[in-house]
Amino acid sequence: MLLTGLAAATDLETAMSDSKNWAAQAGDYANHRYSDLNQINATNVGKLQVAWTMSTGVLRGHEGSPLVIGDTMYIHTPFPNNVFAVNLKDQSYKWKYEPKQDAQVIPVMCCDTVNRGLAYADGKIFLQQADTTLVALDANSGEVVWTAKNGDPKIGETNTNAPHIFKDKVITGISGGEFGVRGRLIAYDVKTGKKVWTAWSTGPDAELLVDPKKTMTWTNGKLAPIGADSSIKTWKGDQWKLGGGTTWGWYAYDPKLNLVYYGTGNPGTWNPAQRPGDNKWSMTIFARDLDTGMAKWAYQMTPHDEWDFDGVNEMLLVDVDMKGKKVPVVVHFDRNGFGYTLNRETGALLVAEKYDPKVNWASKVDMKTGRPIVDKQYSPQTTGPDVNVKDICPAALGSKDEQPASYDRKSGLILVPTNHVCMTYEPFNVEYTAGQPYVGATLTMFPTPGSHGGMGNFIAWDPAQGKIVWSKPEKFSVWSGALTTAGDVAFYGTLEGYLKAVSTKDGKELWKFKTPSGIIGNVFTYQYGGKQYVGVYSGIGGWAGIGMAAGLKESTEGLGAVGGYKELAKYTTLGGSLFIFALPGDASATSAAR
Amino acid sequence: MRKAIALLILTVAQLASVGADDAKLYEVREGTKVDAKTLMGWKTWRALACERCHGQAQEGLVGPSLVERLKVLSKDDFHTLMQNGRPDKGMPPFGGSQMVMQNWEGLYAYLKGRSDGAIQPGHLYPIE
Repeated sequence: MLLTGLAAATDLETAMSDSKNWAAQAGDYANHRYSDLNQINATNVGKLQVAWTMSTGVLRGHEGSPLVIGDTMYIHTPFPNNVFAVNLKDQSYKWKYEPKQDAQVIPVMCCDTVNRGLAYADGKIFLQQADTTLVALDANSGEVVWTAKNGDPKIGETNTNAPHIFKDKVITGISGGEFGVRGRLIAYDVKTGKKVWTAWSTGPDAELLVDPKKTMTWTNGKLAPIGADSSIKTWKGDQWKLGGGTTWGWYAYDPKLNLVYYGTGNPGTWNPAQRPGDNKWSMTIFARDLDTGMAKWAYQMTPHDEWDFDGVNEMLLVDVDMKGKKVPVVVHFDRNGFGYTLNRETGALLVAEKYDPKVNWASKVDMKTGRPIVDKQYSPQTTGPDVNVKDICPAALGSKDEQPASYDRKSGLILVPTNHVCMTYEPFNVEYTAGQPYVGATLTMFPTPGSHGGMGNFIAWDPAQGKIVWSKPEKFSVWSGALTTAGDVAFYGTLEGYLKAVSTKDGKELWKFKTPSGIIGNVFTYQYGGKQYVGVYSGIGGWAGIGMAAGLKESTEGLGAVGGYKELAKYTTLGGSLFIFALPGDASATSAAR
Repeated sequence: MRKAIALLILTVAQLASVGADDAKLYEVREGTKVDAKTLMGWKTWRALACERCHGQAQEGLVGPSLVERLKVLSKDDFHTLMQNGRPDKGMPPFGGSQMVMQNWEGLYAYLKGRSDGAIQPGHLYPIE
């Protein structure tokens, strides 16, 4: 049994080690989103052109990316979460999987019916459906091998995350932070679909899968055990049962340490006055043993959240030089606007710096306590319910949301798609009803004042120093996952619909192409028939693009996420297609084109 | 100019208050001060986070514009819709929400006031 488990891991790991494939959503376990392919490079990328396109048949927000293994591409769609296996030879369909999901799930999905993609391992394709059904499909036939249920849409539990395969386990999470859902991470056996462990974000120690004496956290300038009842004593009464801490982001895995890294989302209602305490372990980076789920360490970034700064964004595992020593770290760009670097083995806090200089809700992170120094002027907790707090930066959708960054292994820099948006925030009291929204705040969002007028930047970040190396302004949020390659090129999409290629050295734009709809998907690359391809989904939606689905009128009022994004309607509308690009001519000619 | 707008709003409000069933649907002053029932309607709108789909000015996002829909939707149909929703279109059923079931008439009044242009978008206050 153990042996077959190891064999399963080898299958995916072998596929990931060959850069011709794009076998995982990030291309690897470490969330690098980097490719060794260099046929397309800084010199010739200006000649990139469309190789082929394909409609997904769904007009909603398209997040994530396809997978490529060998001669097959696996495509997914937003709800109803169709899966197509495409023969790369002639772009014909090998099989289609079209799940029948109860439409009742649509109303309880926050921020559009997105899905962040598939996973591959052990000859199977894994789909995490919106209705919380995890499905394993035979990669050759599309037949269902097993299914598992990890939540209940009737109480607002849904899924948008991609399943992640680490070794012999499928790891998945849960969405529903705006419905009083209690977050957890769940591990299943790749072969059987049998649940192996569930690690809750809030609640009693036994359910958190923590050891009060051995699970460590950064406090008072050192690592110390979290102690007994670390979560429940930071909540009033049994509020932890509606505690949030959902887990819909991008997880990572370090095979050497056998640790899984992921972040948890916002606590219960958005009205902070209603839930006193630090609300642990919402807004937290967890490192857990893959086999048992036991937490080795935890670090809460935003204790007692007052702004909806979910901590779910991607965890990048890199090794950096710090004071002449190679340190294994996890790097995380949080919604709260700070870029964190922690020792991934111990959980020690090494760097916490603003990756957008306009971030104002906290002056800095106290490196001794690990806690942010909150500016009372921008604190809805301080002003209390029914007071509109103005000019908080960043907005609830963060200096960055789920759109994953890319680690350029050549330069050691991380290229980060970011938002540059501020907000007003007015909390109010709410009561919980199962399956009904549990929000408790009204927001308006707008471009960062006193800046370049745009709502996004594409930046290069030094994770050892905590410094921005270069920054390229964008008109709208960059809500597309980045890709870097050995060709010294970085790719990302824009909400207007451009796919762009820039130099990793200085961010200089080298090429762009306008796709039919805004891009919120992640750029990926692969090689087939000796030729390198770059691809991305085109289909606006998600939180930033949610206003696209209906005709908006001119209004003097701010419109939440739409206020600043209303301008988008001039540039794009809903879509659902896949774009694949390549250099002209045959493979040998493009190689010689340098 | 301001006086003219205030007058216009007052006129619209008066018109709206003369309903077919002779009952006042809502009362509004200066666009942002409303009667207790309508105020609870707005609070219900806010608590159930309706703006996530319909927009803060009710002009529609992934959900339709209620400024337009309330011009044609009858009170009875509105009640049915609130109870059963339209799940396939993304509209949740609110039959399970005590707040909605207790205040749906106030919510209807609020949205009607928005649709009529008598009530302004955003925060509302009680008539003193």
